[in-house]
This record gives sequence, C-alpha cells and structure tokens, in this order.
Amino acid sequence: MSEEAVRVITEEPSDASSRRSAQTSSRRSSRRSTRRSVERKPKQDQTIYGLGVLAIVIAVGIYLAAAVSAVMGIFWVTGIAFGFILRRTNFCFTASMRDPIMTGSTSLTKAVLIAFAITSIGFVAIQYGSATAGLPVPGMGFVVPISFATAAGAFLFGIGMVLAGGCASGTLMRIGEGYGMQLLSIVFFVFGSFWAARDMGWWTLNFISNGPVIHLPAVFGWGGAIFVQLLIIGLLYIAADKWETRKQEQES
Amino acid sequence: MAEYELDCLGEACPIPLVKTENKLKELEIGDTLIVIIDHSCALKNVPEWARKHKHEVEVEEIGDGEYEIFIDKTA
Amino acid sequence: MKLSSNKHFQAWFKSPWTYVTGAILLSIFQIVTIASTGSSWGVTGPFATWGAWVYQAFGGSVDHWYFFSTESGQASLQRTFFTDPASVRNLGVIIGALLATLLASQFKFKKIKNMRQVAAAIVGGLLMGYGARIAFGCNIGALYSGIANLSVSGWVFALFMFAGAYVGSKLLVRYFMV
Repeated sequence: MSEEAVRVITEEPSDASSRRSAQTSSRRSSRRSTRRSVERKPKQDQTIYGLGVLAIVIAVGIYLAAAVSAVMGIFWVTGIAFGFILRRTNFCFTASMRDPIMTGSTSLTKAVLIAFAITSIGFVAIQYGSATAGLPVPGMGFVVPISFATAAGAFLFGIGMVLAGGCASGTLMRIGEGYGMQLLSIVFFVFGSFWAARDMGWWTLNFISNGPVIHLPAVFGWGGAIFVQLLIIGLLYIAADKWETRKQEQES
Repeated sequence: MAEYELDCLGEACPIPLVKTENKLKELEIGDTLIVIIDHSCALKNVPEWARKHKHEVEVEEIGDGEYEIFIDKTA
Repeated sequence: MKLSSNKHFQAWFKSPWTYVTGAILLSIFQIVTIASTGSSWGVTGPFATWGAWVYQAFGGSVDHWYFFSTESGQASLQRTFFTDPASVRNLGVIIGALLATLLASQFKFKKIKNMRQVAAAIVGGLLMGYGARIAFGCNIGALYSGIANLSVSGWVFALFMFAGAYVGSKLLVRYFMV
C-alpha cells in the first residue's frame, strides 16, 4: 500500500504570548498514532477544484457588474474577500466571546478588538470627510436606536451563536467549508429572522421608537469620538490580556 | 509513556478543545494524547491552548481537512 | 513542480494566517465596503426578506406586516436574490470560504453527527435569527459595524452579546456535550 509522505505542519505563528519552541520537523516526521481506530481516506489535492471555483467567481463577478450593476460586482467581490479572509484566519466572533468563558483564551477577543480599532479609524475619517463636505454620511444606517430590543436581541444572539457553533459570519464561512450543521443552522436562522420581522411592529411600538440614537461624534466631536472609542478598546484589550493570564494561572 | 487517542471527528466548536483539556488532566506527565479532528477551529485553538500550557505539540495532516494533534504532556 | 508545493502558494493559500492578520484584512475590506458602497458590512439584513420570498412562494402574504411596510421593506420584496446586494455579498462570503478551503485542500463534508447537534443548530439558529432582527443586526452588522461606525448601540450589543455567550456556554456544557 503506497501512501503519500506524511506532511508535518510545524509550529505556525502563534498569536499568544507563548515562547516559540524551536521544534524541528525532522524529529518526528514519521510519527503516527499507533492505534488507528478511524479509517483514513487518501489525501486529495483539491487545488484544481479551487481554481475551478476561482474561475466561476471571476465569471460571476464580471456578469454581475455587466448585467446588474458595477456596485453589485463590488458586493460580490467584497463578500468573496470576507469569506476568504475569515476562513484563512479562522476568525470567529463566537469564539472571541465564548473562549474567555470556556477555555480562558482571549486571543480572538484581542484580535476582534484590533479589528474594531482599525476599522473605527477608517470609518471615522470617511464619516468626517463626508460630514464636513456637506454630503450624506456613509454608515449611518448602522447607527441605530438603543432600547430593550437591542439588549434582548443581543442576549438571544449570544446564546444562539454559542449553541449553534457559529455566529452569522461564522455560519456562512462554515457552510462554505462543508459543515452540515451550519447548513441546518442557517435555515432556522432565516426562519427566526422572519418570525421576528413579523413581531417587529410590536418591538418598534413598545421599545425601539423610544430608543435614543447615540452617535459618538455628536457627543464628543469627531476627534473626541475616536479618542474615546480607542480608549475603550485599549482598556478592553488590556483587560482581555489580564483575563487570560489570570485564567492560566488558575488552571496550573 | 502511554498514548491515548481522542476521536473528535464531526464535533462542533469548541467541543474538541474542551474534551482535550479534560482528557489531558487525566494523563500523566510523559503521556501522549492524540486528538483527531476535522474542525478548522480546533486545528488552531487546540495547539494554541496546549502550547500556552507548555506542552509539546505537533500537528499532522492525515486527510483533506482531517488532522491528528499530538500533545505530549510535559507539565 | 506542482502548484500546491510552491512556497508562495503555501504561504498564501495553505498555511494558516494569524488572527491579527485577519483583523487587519477585515478592516481593510470594511473600509473598502463603506467607501465604495456607502454602507458597512452586514450579514443578517436580507434574512427576513429571504423568509418572505419563500413564504410568498407558498402563497403567504406579508403585506400587512409593519416590517415590510416601510419603503426599504417594500423595495426588498421586489428584488430577487441576484439583484439584492446584501444577498449577493452573503453568497460571496460562502463561496470565498469555499475557495479558500479548496485551495488549501481542506474541504470535507462534515455530516451532522448526532441529535444533539441537530437540536443545537435549530435552537441556536432560531435564537440568532430572532435576536439579530430585533437588534438590527448580528455580530457583524450590529456589533462590528455598529461599533466601527461609532454608534453606542454597538457597545450595548457587545455587552449583552457577551452575557448571552456566558449563558450559552453554560447551556452548551450542561446539555449539548456528552
């Protein structure tokens, strides 16, 4: 029986503050588990399928840009980019909140905070530019009323994402990876959204319409807003770092 | 220097990591735990966790999207 | 020499990238999104509309619903999947992840393992769907984009999402792990 030479993935760049051990791959390159209780399927090189999908992606992009609109092409390409990035980095928002609780790890929490920081810097600049030029400010559709609906919705979402093993972006990512569980999850995700849309009248009447919309620049000015935001993110980052250290000490 | 196998194929996040943590507690120093996974999350968070706890880790790709993570308990 | 053995191919498409790299790249594309489309990234926006499309296909009507009575609600019902930008982007996310997985030769169908996973997926999906709708978004739209657009709603969402994650973790260990 001929088998492919075993590939060993040596230590990948670690996000944690652990020391890098100088492992050489040759030391245990023929390492195998002595008890093989699981059947092994031969490894396939899927690159060719990947290139096929890439060709389809490009074709769809061109088609959308030509047949629908250029902007539609942008939505497609940014979607592809997000999915690609999430997958390559295994970026999981669910884990950023769940892991501190379940395993004590905050490496994703910190990465999410970094994403908040960098994106905020970009967004505030763009918002500022539009505002001072007298143009409609982009992104304001995401500045929404704060009410009991926000709290309740976020709470339900938090529970749901941990149970389902993935949040919204994580679910999409995992469908692309081939997980049957997330395919099931999204069906009910859509159903839940639809059900809530039915109740939206009630939520709007009783809570959302009374909720304040608070845009930080309106309170602190543009410079003040980004300063406060980065300050909060910085403090949370330090807290996340301390949390992990403390959890690790507790375990050992 | 015993070797133990932990089959986590088909398990959802974060079950492989939680099971690994629990199983590793039972092992003695010098033992090896082999965690079999097919979840990309676990491919990242199990080795990361193990390294943070000063264990020796090696990962082997055994199939498309399937991996064996060898953890030598050293502490 | 095989493409997949090439060292650049390995670095770009096979070896995992760090979380921080992810944070930077996601930020770049969030900024690309807001600059080119005038709005930020969101995922769950079109979900209720998808539900409506299916419901209407089976003869149901959402005409008396408040949610679809707004101008944007009405407009969304008139669109189809490939003329709805947010839907196209969501499909892009799925295909982008598929693309990355195939190029790294990591694709494998992972069937649902047991009834626990079925229950978790159903309950989890429903909770996420309902929660995201009433809170105006999910971990991307309400949390990530909300915060990045300097909306305090994003921070409120973060706080309660964390609380939910805490409860979810306890439930997961108690009822969904063997």
